[in-house]
This record gives sequence, C-alpha cells and structure tokens, in this order.
Amino acid sequence: MHTGMGSLAHTVGTYAAGLAAHEGEAHAATGFTAYAWLLVALPLAGATMLLLGGRRTDKFGPVVATALSWAAFVVGAIIFVEMLGRGADSRAQNVTLYEWVTAGTFKLSAGMLVDQLSMVFVLLVTFVGSLIHVYSLGYMEHDPDKRRFFAYLNLFVGAMLLLVLANSYLLLYVGWEGVGLASYLLIGFWNWNPAYATAANKAFVVNRVGDFGLTVALMLMFFHFGAVDFQTVLGKSAALTGANQGFMTAMGLMLLLGACGKSAQFPLQSWLGDAMAGPTPVSALIHAATMVTAGVYLIVRSAPIFEAAPTAQLVVVIVGAITLLFGAIVGCAKDDIKKALAASTMSQIGYMMLAAGLGPVGYAFAIFHLLTHGFFKAGMFLGAGSVMHGMNDKVDMRRFGGLSGAMKITWATFGLGWLAILGVPPFSGYWSKDKIIEAAFIGEGWRPWVFGGAALIGAGITAFYMSRLFFMTFHGKKRWDADDHPHESPRIMTVPMIVLAVGSAFLGLILSWNDMFVSWLEPVTGAEPEGAHPVVPVPLLLTLTLLLVAGGVFLAWMRYWRDDVPVTAPAGSLVTQAARKDLYQDQVNEALLMRPGIHLTRSLVFADSKGVDGAVGGLAALVGGTSSRLRKLQNGFARSYALTMLAGVVAILGALWVIS
Amino acid sequence: MTTRDLVFVVVGTITAVSALLAVTTRHVVHAALWLLVSLGSLAGCYLVLGQELVGLVQLLVYVGAIVVLVLFALMLTRAPIGPQSEISTPAWQRALAVVLGGATSALLAALLLPLLASAQVDLDRPETGTTQIAQAVFGTWVWPFELLSVLLLVALIGAFAVSRLVLHREGEAA
Amino acid sequence: MTAVAPAAFQQSNVDYVAILPMLIVASAALVGVLVEAFAPRRRRHVIQVSLAVVGLLAAFAAVVWVAVDPNKVGHKGLTMGFTDGTTNHSVFALAIDGPALFMQGSIVLMGVLGILTMAERFGGVGPDAFTPSGASTPGSASESAAARAGALTSEVFPLTMFAIFGMMIFPTTNDLIGMFVALEVLSLPLYILSGLARRRRLLSQEASLKYFLLGAFSSAFFLFGTALLYGYAGSVYFGDLSKAVATGPLAMNGLLLPGAFLVFVGLLFKVGAVPFHAWTPDVYQGAPTPVTGFMAACTKAAAFGAILRLAYVGLDTARWEWTNAVVIVAILTMVVGSVLSVTQTDMKRLLAYSSIAHAGFILVGVLAFDRKGVGAVLFYLVAYGFSTIAAFGIVSLVRQNGGEATHLSQWAGLGKRYPLTAGAFAFLMLAFAGIPLTSGFVSKFGVFSAAIGTGGATGTTLAVIGVVCSAITVFVYARVIVLMFFSDAPDDAVEVVTPSMATTFSIAIGTLITLALGVLPSSLLDLADRASQFVR
Repeated sequence: MHTGMGSLAHTVGTYAAGLAAHEGEAHAATGFTAYAWLLVALPLAGATMLLLGGRRTDKFGPVVATALSWAAFVVGAIIFVEMLGRGADSRAQNVTLYEWVTAGTFKLSAGMLVDQLSMVFVLLVTFVGSLIHVYSLGYMEHDPDKRRFFAYLNLFVGAMLLLVLANSYLLLYVGWEGVGLASYLLIGFWNWNPAYATAANKAFVVNRVGDFGLTVALMLMFFHFGAVDFQTVLGKSAALTGANQGFMTAMGLMLLLGACGKSAQFPLQSWLGDAMAGPTPVSALIHAATMVTAGVYLIVRSAPIFEAAPTAQLVVVIVGAITLLFGAIVGCAKDDIKKALAASTMSQIGYMMLAAGLGPVGYAFAIFHLLTHGFFKAGMFLGAGSVMHGMNDKVDMRRFGGLSGAMKITWATFGLGWLAILGVPPFSGYWSKDKIIEAAFIGEGWRPWVFGGAALIGAGITAFYMSRLFFMTFHGKKRWDADDHPHESPRIMTVPMIVLAVGSAFLGLILSWNDMFVSWLEPVTGAEPEGAHPVVPVPLLLTLTLLLVAGGVFLAWMRYWRDDVPVTAPAGSLVTQAARKDLYQDQVNEALLMRPGIHLTRSLVFADSKGVDGAVGGLAALVGGTSSRLRKLQNGFARSYALTMLAGVVAILGALWVIS
Repeated sequence: MTTRDLVFVVVGTITAVSALLAVTTRHVVHAALWLLVSLGSLAGCYLVLGQELVGLVQLLVYVGAIVVLVLFALMLTRAPIGPQSEISTPAWQRALAVVLGGATSALLAALLLPLLASAQVDLDRPETGTTQIAQAVFGTWVWPFELLSVLLLVALIGAFAVSRLVLHREGEAA
Repeated sequence: MTAVAPAAFQQSNVDYVAILPMLIVASAALVGVLVEAFAPRRRRHVIQVSLAVVGLLAAFAAVVWVAVDPNKVGHKGLTMGFTDGTTNHSVFALAIDGPALFMQGSIVLMGVLGILTMAERFGGVGPDAFTPSGASTPGSASESAAARAGALTSEVFPLTMFAIFGMMIFPTTNDLIGMFVALEVLSLPLYILSGLARRRRLLSQEASLKYFLLGAFSSAFFLFGTALLYGYAGSVYFGDLSKAVATGPLAMNGLLLPGAFLVFVGLLFKVGAVPFHAWTPDVYQGAPTPVTGFMAACTKAAAFGAILRLAYVGLDTARWEWTNAVVIVAILTMVVGSVLSVTQTDMKRLLAYSSIAHAGFILVGVLAFDRKGVGAVLFYLVAYGFSTIAAFGIVSLVRQNGGEATHLSQWAGLGKRYPLTAGAFAFLMLAFAGIPLTSGFVSKFGVFSAAIGTGGATGTTLAVIGVVCSAITVFVYARVIVLMFFSDAPDDAVEVVTPSMATTFSIAIGTLITLALGVLPSSLLDLADRASQFVR
C-alpha cells in the first residue's frame, strides 16, 4: 500500500525524460498550432448556436454548421502544413489551455497534444466529417428536424476532435463521453420509432460497459503513476520493468474493455448493427469512419502500456482476430444493406485491432488501414444512402438488383470502394490491409499461424460478402417493386461520394509512396523492428491473398449475379441462420448479463418491497387525491421498517461475531 | 447471592416482563400502564445499584411526566383505545419480531455475559455520587446540557407549529 | 476506570471566537422565535427570511474568520473543556479543526440556498410549500379555516436555523454524548418540517411520523452503542476512546465491536445507508420539496462529518473491529440504492434512492482511511449538496393544477416546452451520474481513486463495485433526460411556474456550482485537501 500520488509526484520528472523514446518530445506549441483549440471550439460553437438558437436558426443553421466544419478542416490543414515544415523530432506540440485540476501535488492541465498521430485523425475527421455535412444537406433536406441533426453532427465533430487531441486520459474521457452522447442522440434521432429508440438505448448500455473499463483504467493509472496525462503515464510505462506486470495487465485489459465498447469489438459488438437505425450519413461518419475507430486510437496511443503488458497485448490481438472473423461471417448473411456494411465495419476494425495488438510492427498499419477504411467505408455508406434515397428508403438487398444502370455515379463510386475493401491492387485497401496480413504472419511459435491465418481467411470471406453486397445491389436481375423508380441522387450528394471514391482509389497508393505514411507516424509509434519477416515469404502470401479474394468474388458472382436471387430469404443452413442472428450475440448477452440483472432487481425489490412502489406506480394513484389511494402509495408500516433495521443490525453484528 | 443481587433480579425481571407486555398488548391504555410499571421498576434498578439521583430523576421524568402525558394525550384526542384489527400487526410479522428480538437478546447475551466475571464494582462506595454528577453536568458537560435546553425549545416550537389550529375565529391566528 | 469528573469543580475554557459561527446561528434562531411572537403577521415572512439569511451569512463570515485566523490567535484546536490539573487528563467537548470548519462553512452556505427555496411564496402570504395547520386532518374544516384566515407557518425558518445549528455541532463534537445531543437537535426540527407539506398532506404527515419513530429507534441504537463504548473505555471522549483501544483493556474487549457498530448504526441511519434506509424514500417524497432538498444536502453533510470524526479520531485505533461491518453496509448501500432507483416512477423517490446510492459512494471514500479520502469526502458532500438543492428546487417548480407533478410520466416532453428548466435539470442529472465536466465526476473520481489508492484490496473492491453501480445509475438519469427531451408531452401537460428571485437564485447558484466544480474544481479540491486534518 503506498500513499498515492503525493509520494510519486517527485518522481515524475525523472520519468518524463524517458518519454522521448516513445512519445516524441512534446514541445510547447508555437505558431498557428497554438490555435489548435479552434478545432474543437468551432464545431462546438456551431452546435451551441443551433441548439440554443432554436427555430430562428432553422433556415441558415445547417449551412453554418457545414461551414464551421470546413473551417475546422482549414484550421487542421494549416496546422498540418506548419507541422510539415518542422523536423520530424519537433513535430509533436503541446497546447496548454488552462490548469484544470490542482489538488495538493496532483496537477492536471487541460491541453492538447498535437502530434503526427492526432493530426491524422484531425484531418480524417474534419475532411470526411465536412463531406458528410455537405451530403446531409441533400439527404436530410426534407427532414423537419434538420437543424437538430446538424447540431448533433457538429457536436460529434467537436467531441471527436477533443478525443483525439486531448493530452490526458481524463480529457480524452471527456471527448469519449461526448462522442458517445452524440452517437446516442443521432442513433435515436428518429425516435418516434420505438425500435430506433431501443437501438439507441442498446448502444448506450453497451457503451457504459466499455466506459466502465476506461474509468477503472483511469483510476488505476492515477494511483500507479499519480497522473493521468499521456506524458507522465506513457513515459513511466515505457520505463517500467517487469515488476508491475499484474498492474499493467489490469490497466491494459481495462483500456481494452473501453476500446471494445466504443469500437464494437468482441464481446461488446452487439450494438453496432442496431445503431444503423440512425440516418445514413450518421452511419457513415460515426459508425464507420470515425467514432468506432476511437478504440484503435486508444490502443495505439497507449502503446507503451501494452508494451509493458504482453498478456494484455495478446488479448488485443485475440479480440481483433475473433471480431474480424465474427464480423465477416455475420456480413455474409445479412440482407439489410446497412447491416451488412456494419458487420463489415466491425470486421475491418477487427483488422485494425489485430494490427494494434501486434506491437510496433502493426501500429502504423493499424492507423493506415483506419485512414483508408475511413474513406472507402464512408464512401460505401454514402452510396448505400444514395441507393436508399432512390429506392424509397428500402434497405433489403433482395429487393434491389440491377441498379447499376439507374444510378451510374453511385455504382461507380461504390465500385471503387468495393475494390478498395477487397484489397485489389492498386486501390487503397491493398496498401493497408495486406500489410496487416503480412504483419500478422510475423512472429514465433503458433501465433503467426493462428493470427495470420485468421487475417488471411478473413480477407477471403470479406471478398465474398462485399461482392455479394455489390452484386445483389447493382447487378443481376431487377427485383424492385412496381412503384420503385430508382434515380440518381442530386449533385450535393454525389459530389462527396465522388471525392471519397477518389480517396478510396488513390489514397493508399499515394501515402505508401516511399513509405511516406509509416515514416510520418514513426516518431509516435516507434520504428518497425529490423529483420522482422513473415513466416511465409511475402510474394507467396500476396499470391495467396489475391487467390482467396478472387475465389470469394467468384463464388459471390456465381450465386448473386449469374444465378437468380430469391426475393425472400431461403431458410438457409444452420450457419446462415446463426449468422443472420448475429451469431446469437444478443441471446448470449441476455442470458449472461440481462437475466441476472433482472433477477437482482426483482429480488432486491422483493426484499425492499415495503419501500418500493413499483407495483402500485400508476399515475392515477398519485394524482387521484383521495386519501385511501394515497395511503396505498406508501405501503410500508413504520414497524416493518424498524424490523428491517433490526434485522440488518442483527445480521451484520451476528456475522461479525461469528467471524471473530 | 446477596440480598442486593436478589432484589436486582426481581426488579429487573419485572422491568423486562412489563416492557414485553407493553409492546405486545393490543390495548393502548394497557400498553401505557405496562410502560409505567416498566419505567418505574427501572428506577428501582438504579436504586439497587446505588444511584439515588438517577433513580429519582427516572421516576420523576418518566413515570411522573411522560407516561402521564401519554395517558392525557389518549384522553384528549379521543383516540380509539380498543384493539383494532385492521392496523394490528400480522402474525408473520409478530413471529419475525419474536425471532429477531430473540436473536438480538441472544447476541447481546453472548457478547456481554462473558464479561460478567471481570466487571466488579463496589456498590457500597459508588465512585459517582450526586456531587460528582452535579459537578460533571455543570463542568464537563455544560455544553451538551445547554444544548438540551435548545432541544426542548425546538420541541416546544415544533409542537406549536404542528398543532396550531385556527378554529372559527378570524384575525390573529398565532 | 477513569473518573467521569475531576475531584474539584473546574470551569470549562471556551474560545468564544472559535464557536462564534454556532453562536450566531443559534442566536438568529432564538431571535426568530421572538419575531414569531412579536412581529406583525404581514411582515413576519420577510423579517424571518432576511434574519435567517443574514444570520447564516454572518456565521459563514465567522467560519472564514476562524479558519483564516488573521490575528494568528490559533482558534483551531480543542475547546469547551479543560485539562485536569492533577491527572493531566483533557476533556474537551468541541474540536475546531479543518474538517469541522469545512463542514460548518458548507452547511451554512447550503443552508442559505435551502432557506431561499423554502421562502418561495408564489405571490401568497406565507411560504408556499408549507401548510398553515400541520396537525389538522387533510380536507377538514379546520384546515380550510386556517387557509381562509391567512395563517402562515413562518416558524419553519427558526426551526430550520435550529436544525442548521445542530448540523454545525454534529461534525464538531469531540465526544459521544455531545454528538448524540447534536443529533437530536438537528433531527427534531427535521421531523417537524417533514410533516408540514401544504399539498398531499397525508403523505407528509405519514412521512413525518415514520421519520420520527425510526429516528428515535436509531437514536436508541446510538445510545446503546455509546453505553457499551463507555463500558469499554470508561469515557466517551474520542481521545480517550482511541487511547483505550491502543493500550487495550482486554477484559472488556467484547464491548468494543458491538459498541462501535451500534454507534455507527445511529449515524448511518441519518445518511440513509442500507439496511437503515427504509425511511429515506418515504420521507423524501412526503416532505415539502424544499425541505427534502435541504435535508438531502445538509443532513448528509453533517452526518458524514460526524462519521468521519468517529472513524478517524474516536475509533481509528479500533478500525479492524468495525471496518468489515461498514464495508458490508457500503456495498449494500451502493447496490440497493442504484438498482432500486431503476424501478422508481416518482421523481422524489428516484432522487431519494439516488441519494442512498450517493451515500454508498461517499462511504467508500470514508473507508479509504487516509487524508486523501477525507478530502475527497468533503468535496463530494459539497458538490452533491449544491446539486441536490438545485434539483429539488426545480422539482418544486414543475406543477400541475397547483400541486407538484412528481410522477415521471408527467415530466415527459418538458424539455420541448421549458428548455431552460429541463436543461438545467438534465445537467444536474448528468452530475449525479458522474459525467465529466460536472462536479459529480470529480467527486466520484476523488472517492474511488482514494479508495483504490489507500484502501487496499477492500478499497479496490469497493471502488469497482462503486463504478459498476454508478454505471447502473446512469441509466436512471439518462431515462429522465430522454423522457424530458425525446418523449411527447401528455395532453394534460404540466407547467413550470415562474419562481421568485430567491428560488431562481438558489437554483442558478446550485447549477452553476455544479458546473464550476466540474470545470474548475481545483480551488475547492485544494481547500478540502488542506482541511482534511483532524485534531485529537
């Protein structure tokens, strides 16, 4: 037992020096970087204005929100350019905003860490986010609550930027809760539909489980290191020797739990499919491109903690591998276009998790894949939104088919995204995903074979289900109803799709030029160890991957393009049935978590029945006003309360007496 | 066993039994009367233990004032004094109360009885006589003692605030 | 056995400056009684309210004076007693130290807000929340006669002041008898205040009676425990108790555990800890809403102040005897409070169960057994107190047909029609839930991290249970927020009445402090940290 932060505080300085190795020296901000707070402030100002402004802002609000989002992008771009102008070692900058908490020896300043890693996220979030703002101007045009929608979108962008720019776990947690809130509000945006409200609540519940992990991790680091800012925590973790394994493992696992909740990783993945209840632009931005990748960010940012806790790191890889297969299998059976894409998102984030758990060989590729995935998955979601826009908001792919003729731009942009996720060279996915597969094959003993194998098989299944989705929607026979008149979406929606499609096509190629991206991140993620080679020769691995992908595409072509697709889903095999039901994850959750919770509540209510009016409840009893009704309301007699007290005293005292 | 012990056991038994009867009877006036017996014989206990002052105060305050007040209240409010079935304690609750009461007694007995052997006080020369108590109350305990007067004042005002009835006279109510 | 009194009479030494805050509040209460007797009725309300507020502010100034001690007199320390010249044995009734002054200051300030919410008249002659004739049968002729005659219950202000007086002494007393008397002084006015609700009278009368009976029952536990501890140590002074345990009169060892536990039962009853919580929902629901807010904030603060002193000064050396009992109580309190809050359908009962859960969280901080834990608990009490006064203040404004609308279903859609009120309430809910940037987060973080840091394995277990439970309570608060903002209002919608400046002020201050302590908690954390050292 140590006395906590007080005694540890003086050692902070010693460890801070050791930070440079992993974190890069964070200099006090100079130049325009000092204005990094604008990144968060601009979208939040928009959200505040729209929410408080009320109906007065109905007309111009959405446009202003979009403009503010672009403004944040411009700020991010200027900071980025400024950062490029500096040497690789002095790029990380610390922007101190104000002293947040000073209690005794514990000091925490709210500030931002602008470094190579957070910059990647800033650019991704603001760029894709702004595009989706633009797209939403078209998609949500006729929604009466458009203003509220844009306010929430702005809130999300602000909170997400706070999450990635925070320089301490505590501030990160603020952003973490903020994106959770925005996500909750947006999933339940159309809350007149009870199913949608339920979906929002489910996301909320599952995320609480994750947040619980993050909270415990925060407390653990507070007491182990006496601080919660990145610099101290990560610096000390990096300098740790093997002595504190158990503690570091606990901390790593708790962080992982947080990451699993936010990123829909096994076993907390169940909410993502239901979250598709939100408007499609939301699915594209929050539940594909940005928020759900926050878990990956958390793991990569906390790299030194995981380096010091190999067990936790191994669990990260296992979680990633399970989720990537899980998502892929579920994706094969879904007929709802958005749910199929959601399953795919889950699976792709599984890849990123896997890479993030591999250590320095994987960090950069995890982030790289996150970036390319952000583009192609957002593009495909917007494509799906465009399809729904043209098809009376239908989502059942069995009712689509042959849309390529009617919606040429959507088809082309979606096609580019499809090629990218398949990992066909030279499209983006090839540069990031194949690198993860390669990295998974690095190592000794059983691990490369298991994890590499999982990643490889996952690539094959991905090719199958994504082709299935693409063919069922855009090719094969037309299976629409008579009153469907598919048409291309307006320019304001297609332009963002085109931009994202261009990114899906070329971003990977450009950033892989000369290993540009990997060396950009190197000061943060550490260098890839020399001489680490996959257990299977790279050319062979590449061939194998491409063969599997081709096989998957071919199989999908046979079944969903060449052959007729039945309009109602066939019964299918046991596996298909299980996959349709998300491999029974809801049932498992219910049996493991919900039922015991309900029983606990019931038994407590029973034990406390004299104090609880759950059974009486009704409104009538309360406002009815007659005395007999009111008397029923508090159905406890003072004597039974006294009896409870006495029972409590006797029980506790008796127990203690027996023990001693 | 000395005479003193014998008397103590007798008075103590009366106290306990009448207390039990006070809470078990269904007749509210009987309950008040049993309470009188119980509190009175408790004063007897104090006397046997050599604490005349405490015994007398007990007699004056509890028997003389409080129980009489209870009886007056019963008479003045014209409350029904017979047994009332709809608010009487159900059998299971009585049973539970017996069990819990028994358990409490057993527990306390188990904790306290082993200490009997080591607790020896010479009752013929008590350490604390009336003089000591007076000195303590006005010396050491003057602060809580003063506080008690505030407590009584609060009770007075509270009773006033709760019970004030504005009957049929208009004008100054207070 | 140590003698109760010295051989010769000795007068108590009193540092009157050190007890000035308490004296001011007591005098203001007594003057209030005189005002009740002599001031003309139509002026009484204004006089009483201003007297109470001025008295409390003066008392706060006195607290600050004592704490800062500009003349370096050294007011802090033990007072109200003497050191026996022959035996060199100290008996002091009051301990003026950091925690005591901190609690006194916060109780007084929260008391100001409480008085201001109680003073709400909504244009009537007397305080709106209180009935003019507490004992009359609801709906009877005498009740309506009282209403017609324009009777008013301005006694509530002196009564509240007496309660505050008791609350100030409670965490300051240095012995069990003083603590017991303070407990009674603070409780008695509360029993009466609970029974004076103007609307839904029967509920209120029932609440008052239950609170009184159970309070008396718990006082009996406290007294019995005191007797056992006296039997153990031969003294009721905390210093003697602590010493006796350290030196160990082994013969009477059997008395220590039951004595300590029973004394704790009396105190845990006041904070609503499970299994001594049964009164809480009924009383919170039945009492006039401003009184509920005042009670939830100030009683909790005072009682935890007393628990802290007992745990850290009086029975610190006997910790191994009673810790397990309090750990069980803390776990039960957190679990029962948070799980049962899920099933509530009445806003005041919901807040009551929430306050039970909070009591459990605070107990976790108490069980850290470290100065850091004390600081965290002090901070928690202030943060929770201000939020809860504001929350109950808002509850008292949401009305239907003149009476308060406390059923959850009546709150549906409130956010659409009264965004500001609902927004403030939603913010307070977030604070109760412990979301960052509210005071609730900082306070929960404080107690849990203190428990993890210095509470050993037990502390860590408690903190984990606490985090799980606070995750459960988040649903409850989120449900309220969702109900207010995302549900459609029923046809017979409730309205938010426009309060006077006083109520608006106290709700606004409560909400702002909740925000301020979330965004800039440093100064109060620092203050609580510096105030966390007990004298013995």
